[in-house]
Amino acid sequence: MLKVGIPRALSYYQYFPAWKVFFEALGAEAVVSPLTNKAIFAAGNSRAVAETCLPVKLFFGHVISLADKCDYMFIPALRSLGRKAYYCSKFIGLPDMTRALVPECPPILDPEIDLNKGRRGLYQTIYSLGSHFSSDKNKIKKAVEQAEKAHLAYRKEMSDRGITPIQALDETHRSEDKSYLEPDVSRGLSIAVIGHQYVIYDDYVNHRLISRLRDMGVRVFTPEMAEQQALDVAMTKLGGAPHWSFEADIVGAGEYYLEGKVDGIISVAVFGCGPDSMMIDMVRHRARGFRTPFLHLSLDEHTSEGGVLTRLEAFLDMVKRRRRVCA
Amino acid sequence: MRIGIPHCGNAYVIAEALVQKLGNGKNELIIPPPTSHRTLDLGVKYSPVEACLPFKLTLGNLIEACELGADTLIHARGTGVCRLGYYVKEQEQIIRDLGYDAHFFTLDVSQNRVKSIMRLIKELTNDAPWSKIISAFSFAMGKLFALDEMEKVIHKVRAVELEKGRANQVYRQAVKAISEAQTIREVRNTAKEYVKKLGQIPKDPKADPVKVGIVGEVFVVLDPFANMDIEMELGKLGVEVERTMSLSRWVKYRLFLNYLGIDEWEQVHKAALPYLRRSVGGDGWESVGEKVVYARDGYDGVIHLAPFTCMPEIVAQNIMPSTEEDIPVLTILYDEQMAKPGMITRLEAFVDLLKFRRKRRRK
Ligand code: SF4
Ligand code: SF4
Repeated sequence: MLKVGIPRALSYYQYFPAWKVFFEALGAEAVVSPLTNKAIFAAGNSRAVAETCLPVKLFFGHVISLADKCDYMFIPALRSLGRKAYYCSKFIGLPDMTRALVPECPPILDPEIDLNKGRRGLYQTIYSLGSHFSSDKNKIKKAVEQAEKAHLAYRKEMSDRGITPIQALDETHRSEDKSYLEPDVSRGLSIAVIGHQYVIYDDYVNHRLISRLRDMGVRVFTPEMAEQQALDVAMTKLGGAPHWSFEADIVGAGEYYLEGKVDGIISVAVFGCGPDSMMIDMVRHRARGFRTPFLHLSLDEHTSEGGVLTRLEAFLDMVKRRRRVCA
Repeated sequence: MRIGIPHCGNAYVIAEALVQKLGNGKNELIIPPPTSHRTLDLGVKYSPVEACLPFKLTLGNLIEACELGADTLIHARGTGVCRLGYYVKEQEQIIRDLGYDAHFFTLDVSQNRVKSIMRLIKELTNDAPWSKIISAFSFAMGKLFALDEMEKVIHKVRAVELEKGRANQVYRQAVKAISEAQTIREVRNTAKEYVKKLGQIPKDPKADPVKVGIVGEVFVVLDPFANMDIEMELGKLGVEVERTMSLSRWVKYRLFLNYLGIDEWEQVHKAALPYLRRSVGGDGWESVGEKVVYARDGYDGVIHLAPFTCMPEIVAQNIMPSTEEDIPVLTILYDEQMAKPGMITRLEAFVDLLKFRRKRRRK
């Protein structure tokens, strides 16, 4: 059976269920890299130029860890999923950067996804992707349908049950990470954590932020726990038509949870991320209007666990004090 | 209306020329003071920390224009993958928060550029007749071409002049004379005169300058404040500089020739294809392609300029070193913390490397 490598990084958190179903329906096996660890970081870090943002460095590390374990590497070039909203340049350049930096990588499957060019173009792209595995057009069509269904089910499960991608992936796809499965605390502080999935759900990047908050008795809300449509509405209200494809996860989720009266907002981004710095400023501004405490964590490979912890504790203390005063 | 504009290299000359020809007393053009450290400080103070340098510098310009009483601000906006699409939204918000009640006029520089620019000119001139607009526009373009021609010449002269700094003096006079010229004839004659003057500067007969191509993100490539006068510094080091990008070229193709189906970057994109198959927004694709082209054309090296955190150029930076067409690339990332002596040290080391490689090759 042909093996397709899927790096556990960047868009993995958003689309893995769909991709897995797609490749399996075509008789291939999807192989995922392990959870991010030090070796993966070190490998990626040694290849990319220093100024590359941490998530992209980690992506290369994941590719390297999979290089000898698969026949193909799946690295779509994500440009746009419609509405004239775009991915960051680095997503579009990912397949070519990988070719330049990881010569040992097996052949890369790099469909370019640009919904602004219409659905027909998209289907053509997907057919030629599928043709690596099957010459049966019908089979590919079915695989696409199943993948779309899987994607919608995944998204819905998260908002219906108020769970994170990690929890949803774990239940349906048995990933090895169990750290998110502690029971929710429903009476503690409610804090919304906003940011890119690959930042807020990669424990190596954020030093186990979400489970730590839960350990402290906090009820955590993340973008995926809200319905996509609700995020879109909130985003448009605050920022107008989106420019970035992930604006809903930051601006939209920020506005949505502010309106939902959470006790505090924590935004998490990596150092050197251009788009985030602009979007987060918008949410910060808005939080001031709501008089909701706001904490921004800017992380990079040098951020220490202790540093994050200290800032978290100080922030939660502040939120608690405010809640007491306001109550 | 009191109209304020941001700076980018010599771009203000176009605005100045248009107003000179079309001004009707009602609208006043406010050119903010040349970008300075104060501009930068203002921009840094009010921008998100991790915004790119073009964002911060142009914000600083706009604030300085407001201080001089501008009530209408002109700003470029492009859609596409880069942060440029975000500029307007954010900068408007910041300027309002500072208490300025300015109206923004957005210049769309991507899809609807011609319409957008024409609409802008029409509005700013209170509906001047088209014939007048067109002649004003060609006057402005004439100035721009003259300035860019001057730059091309000075890139060569600087590298080989006997007495360092002479060429710059003449160049500065030329810019002044061109921007003061009143008719297109005068512009052309002035340009001719100064090209001649530059040609008369005594040159070192033994000079054998190394040749580098400058590539990268358009704003830092074109704005001498942003790039810390890198071309002049290279000239001092005896380097001959070549750069494809220029304002006049941008206007010529973007506003006219592109519509005739002529793509100025076609060859460059083709050269990039084996390494980068698609545009990544901004100027990243062009950077990769230009490196390949310069290598093929026998240049000694490439200097790649980008703002710190510029996404398209980080893609380019990761790809450029491994192209088969192999010449050294020096990437310089600009932010408000960078100091000029550091840049010069890096340039010196790079130039030494290029000279060394050249000697080895000639043996
Ligand atoms: S959006 Fe930010 S964090 Fe994500 S890849 Fe782009 S620069 Fe990196
Ligand atoms: S291309 Fe680079 S410098 Fe230009 S707006 Fe985008 S990030 Fe900023």
